[in-house]
Amino acid sequence: MSGILVVLEDREGRIGRISWEAVAAALQLSSFARQPVHAALLGADTSTVAAAVAAKAVDGVVRVEHPLLQSYTSDGYTHALEQLIRARQPDFVVFPHTYQVRDFTPALAARFGQSLIGDVTSIADGPLFTRQLMQGRLTGTYRHNGSGPCFVSVQSGAFRSDSVTTGTAPVESFTPSLEAAQIRTRPGAPFRAAAQTVDLGSAQLIVSVGRGIKEADNLPLVQDLAAALGAELAASRPICDNGWLPMERQVGSSGQTVAPKVYIAIGISGAIQHLVGMKASQCIVAINKDPDAPIFEVADYGIVGDLFEVVPALTAAIKAAKQ
Amino acid sequence: MKIVVAIKQVPERDAPVRIDAAGRWIEEADLQWALNESDAYALEEALQLKELHGGEVVVLSAGPERVGSTIREALAKGADRAIHIDCEDLGQRDALGVARLLATAIQPEDPDLVLTGLQSDDLGYGQTGVILAELLNLPHASLILHVEKSDTGITVKRELEEGWFQNIDLPLPAALTIQSGGAKLRYATLMGIKRAKTKEVRRIAAAELSAPPEAAVVLDRIALPQKQKITQVLSGSAQEAAAALVEKLKFEVHAL
Amino acid sequence: MPLGISPMTIWYPRRPAAQSCIVGCSTMVPMPFTLAEPAAFPLVERILFAALAIASGSLFWRRFGPIFHRILQSKKDADFRLAPVGRRVWDFVSEVLFQSKVIRQRPLPGIAHAFVFWGFCAFALVTLNHCAVGLGIGFLSPEGFFGRFYFCFAAVFALTCAIGILGLFIRRFLVRPRWLGAKLSWESGFIAFLIFFLMATYLAAFFVPAGSTAITVLWWLHTLTLLVFLPIIPHTKHLHLVLSPATVFLSRGSFSRIPPLAGDEDFGLVAGTDLTRLVSLQAYSCVECGRCTEHCPAANTGKTLNPKEIILGLRSYLNEFGPASSEPLLGKHNPPVAPFQCTTCGSCEFQCPVGIEHLPILVGLRRGAVNTGAWDDDHGAKLFLSLERGSNTLGMQAGERDKFIQKQQFPIFDGTQEYCLWLGCMGGYDPKGREIVADFARVMRYLGTTFGVLRKEKCTGDPVRRLGNDLLFQQLAEANLEALAQNKVKKIVTICPHCVRTIQEDWKEYGTPPEVEHHSEFMARHLSRLPRPSQQDSIVYHDPCYLGRYRNVYAEPRTVVSHSGQLLEAERHAERSFCCGAGGGLAFLGEETGERVSHVRAKELVATGAKTIGTACPFCNSMFRDALASSTDTAPQLLDIAQLTARALPQQDTSSAS
Repeated sequence: MSGILVVLEDREGRIGRISWEAVAAALQLSSFARQPVHAALLGADTSTVAAAVAAKAVDGVVRVEHPLLQSYTSDGYTHALEQLIRARQPDFVVFPHTYQVRDFTPALAARFGQSLIGDVTSIADGPLFTRQLMQGRLTGTYRHNGSGPCFVSVQSGAFRSDSVTTGTAPVESFTPSLEAAQIRTRPGAPFRAAAQTVDLGSAQLIVSVGRGIKEADNLPLVQDLAAALGAELAASRPICDNGWLPMERQVGSSGQTVAPKVYIAIGISGAIQHLVGMKASQCIVAINKDPDAPIFEVADYGIVGDLFEVVPALTAAIKAAKQ
Repeated sequence: MKIVVAIKQVPERDAPVRIDAAGRWIEEADLQWALNESDAYALEEALQLKELHGGEVVVLSAGPERVGSTIREALAKGADRAIHIDCEDLGQRDALGVARLLATAIQPEDPDLVLTGLQSDDLGYGQTGVILAELLNLPHASLILHVEKSDTGITVKRELEEGWFQNIDLPLPAALTIQSGGAKLRYATLMGIKRAKTKEVRRIAAAELSAPPEAAVVLDRIALPQKQKITQVLSGSAQEAAAALVEKLKFEVHAL
Repeated sequence: MPLGISPMTIWYPRRPAAQSCIVGCSTMVPMPFTLAEPAAFPLVERILFAALAIASGSLFWRRFGPIFHRILQSKKDADFRLAPVGRRVWDFVSEVLFQSKVIRQRPLPGIAHAFVFWGFCAFALVTLNHCAVGLGIGFLSPEGFFGRFYFCFAAVFALTCAIGILGLFIRRFLVRPRWLGAKLSWESGFIAFLIFFLMATYLAAFFVPAGSTAITVLWWLHTLTLLVFLPIIPHTKHLHLVLSPATVFLSRGSFSRIPPLAGDEDFGLVAGTDLTRLVSLQAYSCVECGRCTEHCPAANTGKTLNPKEIILGLRSYLNEFGPASSEPLLGKHNPPVAPFQCTTCGSCEFQCPVGIEHLPILVGLRRGAVNTGAWDDDHGAKLFLSLERGSNTLGMQAGERDKFIQKQQFPIFDGTQEYCLWLGCMGGYDPKGREIVADFARVMRYLGTTFGVLRKEKCTGDPVRRLGNDLLFQQLAEANLEALAQNKVKKIVTICPHCVRTIQEDWKEYGTPPEVEHHSEFMARHLSRLPRPSQQDSIVYHDPCYLGRYRNVYAEPRTVVSHSGQLLEAERHAERSFCCGAGGGLAFLGEETGERVSHVRAKELVATGAKTIGTACPFCNSMFRDALASSTDTAPQLLDIAQLTARALPQQDTSSAS
């Protein structure tokens, strides 16, 4: 048999965006390989999510169910998927490149004498798979060699989840044979880091304020923005030096080093002492009235303008977008 | 506890990337090399476990002659001895091929714990540790920030997405891939380097371990990314700029 | 007492020669001033004197012997060379005999001290004779021509010495400057009294008739004072009387010279076994004057570090454990945090009048802690790790530097240009440092000087050198030396005094660095060809430690500043300039305890009322930028001397120049 198997992740009864992106990647691959796409879901009971996937333009949905798949274990998932793949013998197995997938797919691929082509950003005819190398400083194009299933995982955000159109797909079940003894690890329940008063280090979103705010009385402006975003509030050194915000909110060489997904620098010119504390952020947004401020050199997005106008507008826009 | 740490030598973070004539890899001639970052954390975790519970830390690395300097660095930081798999064609092997090489060298050591970094800074496959576990038939966990010894084995702290964590119990022996940032790294010291001179480095030719298998996955060509990081200035009125930024945060950064 | 009158013509009671005089003789005739000496002593007194002298001498040795032994027992200084002797002799003459440092840095107490010192020198012969008299073998006759001259000569010094010691006593017990310590040192008071009494009993002998009981009493009082004084010397800081001349003569000679590590087991100052003879000698030489403390940025801003206490801590260590001990040096007698609060500004070493070289000691203690991994500091480890993996202290990607070079259209050095423009970490990555480099490049282009930058540059290793990481420093120095040699660089110019110092002096351990100069020196040389700005603002110039004390460059940056404005001086300037707080790797070690050094200095600079603060080091600039940002007043403008100079250049587009 042939075909493309896309393995989706059930996140508390929902299919996450990145899994839809994997479906999109599988559909793109099928346009080159001219093979049907089947989606697989693993769990103890996948009925809800299976129904959601069945309403999309895939050729079939497989519910891989077993009580031992109630919560994720690498042993359980590897054994279950090994059996499914041996049974269906797809040419391609596509995954979303999540932390969970990174945990077991290399072992799964190894069972078939294969290597995963992981974190793929685009797929071209051939098929050729492109992924980043040297931490994004290069791209590499890979192809699968020889026979056996080709394992691929796709990077978050690389494919358009909204390109997956609706449809109706048949749903079938697959019951792997699993024994409790095969599962050697015992996972605990997920938890968040102990709620500390300020935890900039693990914050995903940070709104940071500098001298441009002029006086302490103006701080609510940025506090509102942080609240609207669900972000932590941070500051450059002069703000903390003046006692406007506590020292533990200081980002920079003498304060904390942070690497959030988004760092919004407001009224911060970008002295080196500050830059070294936040340069590793994945996305930097700078709002400053001085177009020559060094902060713009490291920013991904910049707004040159008066923060007293831009910040309230941004807060309003975010509130609107979140509704 | 006997711990084997598999480490990789990678081009230094600031190394210039110039694509070689064949277009399959970068010019290695004037590169400077360093220990892969998450491997440094794996080594640190191993050293801390040894300091707490005693035992031995053996570092294992595959690669050509130059890898010796990185092995020395690991010994300088406190590893007890090292195994260097002499291998000129590491780049031609896929993740499975490399893991096979390492697994064959680890097998006779019969360690309690096999540690690797989460992924390499150059190829970034992020698979070696997990495949090692599979080949050595060990339970494993990946993205580990902290390891604690328990009565039955170990308890590890695993990083999940978006600020979540999870504890996992594993029996020993086991394999773990270590995420960067979980521990405080120690810096290399002069004393460490001097002491490392007398430590054992066993060299094994790759050919003695396994013949290079045909790779299941082949790197065809490399290229510079089309889009370099540039600052996008969002213009217009405050409202327009704010709206444009929200758009970007939502659809390009996926942060909203 | 008839002070201030020439001793040779003083009016004095005539004393019949070879006869006992009647006390209170009243005929006053002018005659030469003569010292009275007791006649021959009875045997009992001679024996008593001999016994007391032996007792005093052995008491002295009982204490001094072990000290001497501990110094000799210390490890040999591997890099010690007696040559050049000329320099040593000159230092000795200038600093010891002429007391140049003592006087220059603290004129009033310095002169008082010099009087005491010269008094002691003049007294050497007198004292020798004095003791000989006690044994009946006096060789200087008060009647003889030379004797008469010499005693009077010594009397002048005795007088100035007595005044000097009185002055020092008043200073210590009544004026009480802060750096002498909060606790009054009664032992100092007692010594001062002894010295004063020695002089008084000597001078008094000019006023009593020879042969009188009074003269015998005076002789004995003088002698007993002497015999009490001698054994006290090695018990107190007055040990410097004996040791400091040797310390000055034997010192390493060049400022902040960090000795190379000797052999595979040398990691710096870890334990007693690492103390070298020079370090031990210096530890025992400290006179506790507190000049080092007075000028120390750490000690003045509430840190643990006090350079004097470091030296005294080593002395206590030697006294308790000795130089063969493996007890860590950082522990009981020296707190481990103290050496790491040092900015290596070098004021202490520069000021020290007894030849103590604080920097090799402070850096040596850091080396001991860092080279063995004992120093555990998050910021420090971060700095080391970013240099182990990357190229710069700031942990930035090298690509950022490339972007800057492209933007500025700096040519790449290819051997055809005259200068290699060394950017340094600050010049390559710090937004403000980049502005300085860009402006300096404009100056060079205006002058038509050809220059190029290296394609790749690593940190010179300055912060890790000062923090005592020899492994990393060696790697950085060697990598840079190799890159410079490959590119055939002959001359380097840079905006950073730390780079200048490290390239020129510290790299020597690993090769031959190219010629290097600071941009202040370059600009000063070409000043006549550079335009003056139309407006001449007042500019206060801040001396960077690494340009001033480390390189002795004070005039050049001042001429550059004067070219673009009216030069003002801060209260502390030139060789007494106060540090900005960044040196010694401290710029990378996170928040300081106590007051910030940069704030203290920035306030001082602002207090001059200058419109502009002129700097000559990107680290100083960065520290003051931060400090001025925290003050809410309208701060003066902060500009590097390159920016001051570039202001007056005609605006031109850079493309035509490149």
